[in-house]
Amino acid sequence: MEETVITSLPRRKRFSLGSLFTKKDIPFAIGCPALVWHSLFFYLPLLIMILSSVFDLSESGSFQGFTLKHFLAVQNVAHFRIIFKSIGIAFLTAILCFVIAFPCAYFLAFKGGRYKTLLLFFLIVPFWTNFLLHVCAWFFVLERNGFLNNLLLSLNLIGEPIHFLNSFFAIILMMVYHYLLFMILPIYSSLEKFNLFLFEASSDLGATKLQTFKRILLPLTLPAIRLGFLLVYIPAFGEFVIPELMGGDKAYYAGNVVSQYVLGNYTAPLGAAFTLMGACILMVSIGLLLWIFKRISKSLGGLSV
Amino acid sequence: MTKNKDTLRSIKLVNLSKSIGEASVINQVNLHIPSGEFFALLGPSGCGKTTLLRLIAGFENANSGKIYLGNTDITDLPPHKRSVNIVFQNYALFPHLNVFDNVAYSLVVQKKGKEEIEKRVLKILKAFHIEEHIFKFPAQLSGGQQQRVALARAIINEPDVLLLDEPLAALDFKLREKMLIELIELQDKLKTTFIYVTHDQFEALTLADHMAIMNHAGDIEQIGTPKEIYEFPISSFVAKFVGTTNILQGTLHNLDAEPFMETPNLGKFHIDIPHKKAWMYEGCDMSMSIRPEKIFISKKPVQNFSNTLRGIVSSIVYHGRSTQYNLLLQDQTKLQVFEQNEEHFPQETIDYDDEVYLYWQKENVVLLEK
Repeated sequence: MEETVITSLPRRKRFSLGSLFTKKDIPFAIGCPALVWHSLFFYLPLLIMILSSVFDLSESGSFQGFTLKHFLAVQNVAHFRIIFKSIGIAFLTAILCFVIAFPCAYFLAFKGGRYKTLLLFFLIVPFWTNFLLHVCAWFFVLERNGFLNNLLLSLNLIGEPIHFLNSFFAIILMMVYHYLLFMILPIYSSLEKFNLFLFEASSDLGATKLQTFKRILLPLTLPAIRLGFLLVYIPAFGEFVIPELMGGDKAYYAGNVVSQYVLGNYTAPLGAAFTLMGACILMVSIGLLLWIFKRISKSLGGLSV
Repeated sequence: MTKNKDTLRSIKLVNLSKSIGEASVINQVNLHIPSGEFFALLGPSGCGKTTLLRLIAGFENANSGKIYLGNTDITDLPPHKRSVNIVFQNYALFPHLNVFDNVAYSLVVQKKGKEEIEKRVLKILKAFHIEEHIFKFPAQLSGGQQQRVALARAIINEPDVLLLDEPLAALDFKLREKMLIELIELQDKLKTTFIYVTHDQFEALTLADHMAIMNHAGDIEQIGTPKEIYEFPISSFVAKFVGTTNILQGTLHNLDAEPFMETPNLGKFHIDIPHKKAWMYEGCDMSMSIRPEKIFISKKPVQNFSNTLRGIVSSIVYHGRSTQYNLLLQDQTKLQVFEQNEEHFPQETIDYDDEVYLYWQKENVVLLEK
């Protein structure tokens, strides 16, 4: 006769939240709120925008079918020029941000010592104040009777005040000022974790400071630099407040075109079409940017890659 | 002019001092490391031995004193201009470069030709048996493999001096033993001066031609061959730090004929004074160090030994090849004895609480000043 071996006592099944999910579902469950949020406030508006760009609406607002006429209408030389101008200024902003941010992050991470946190705090403080206040502050600095002109005049570097405001210079200055932190923070956090022995190892193996920078520091911080570039480049492309406030009437960028169409009478579909067109070109340019980063990373890598 | 490699690869430290902040880490160190030697620097944690290594590598600047490589003063040379390479304790491999590129690094920064680099790197990777991992990144390697890559990277440029900062600390015991043998063979082949920093006496004794013992204050207590250091320590610090020992204290008497040491509670011990030292005089305080393996233990009294003591076995630790007896003497002094486990079934078995006789020859004792 066979013996029955009881290995475990039967348990009554009780309802619990845990029984709804297996372990595999947990990441999904955690991601759910974000997904809902994103769907409601990002994908839904995006869908509305896409639809409004292809809907043919009568003047009374009734649906008359699909059309591509809005897309055809926004495809003109002036628009393309504005988009490429925006790409240009976004790229320039990102480059300048990088040039300023890298030494700054380097100093913070390696030379900051015990003042590291304090210095970082001072970098972040301006971002607690309203954006318009920043602009006002810069007005005081840049205006005809402003701080900068007075300083240059008193040093006899210039004969008469320079027209700083309403210029390309003013736009770039404000853009760089506004987006700088998005470049500093990723690079700083990457440098902060940097294994300092690698500097010593590199130097021990015969590398000069420049070679160490090129072959060790740069390749290892490249992912952070790339992240910083994206964080600056993408919003800078769509920026419309800064050109409007700092650039005067002549400054006209992709963001300004969109805001004008969207706020205008019956021109919202044109704005939607223009935005989508701009977004496509932006995406291509981001692809190009990532490709460039890949090439740089490869060229900084070793011989065997 | 021919280069005389014999002296060119020596390291000489003259009155070298280094302080970090207020604290003096290294104080007036003088040390000569002969060319082509395997030299070990042994000391407790925090004694400044790593700082000494970093000074030789050039990562730290000395406050005063000079460092010579051969006849060249390298005190103020930056690290990349010294023909000195280091193997870091944590290896410091470049995480973004694979094994090949890590090893090739020093040749690449010297802008050597691609073919030469390839040839030399492949040769050294083969010698270190890591050629099959050539395209792996450091994170994909085991500790032992990382160790080999770090070694290969440091010696590919054929430095005059190789510095090793506790390179085996992260490896398990078996692997460590294997690497020790490989290091000895490597050094034999290269004839590069190796300076090996460790707090592990076993490593130092195994590897070194000569070794220096540093104490807590960053001073060098003794320099000598492993045998000299182990058998004839000059201070109780060295005696206690290298190996285990028993120290008995007393006063010195009868220097010229049949000298002995008088202890307060254990009586007299015959001692041997082959060379009279400056500190010795009638009635002076002294210590003697007796290694545990130089004491014999028995339950029966034995003749023919210069010194005898009686004690009670307080604990027994079985080590495999030997057994350690911890004994309590009449005055509650503790004493250790190692006995080789020569036979499966020894004639007498010693157990806890047994009263035993301890014997040693007076020649096997080291006399220490205090």
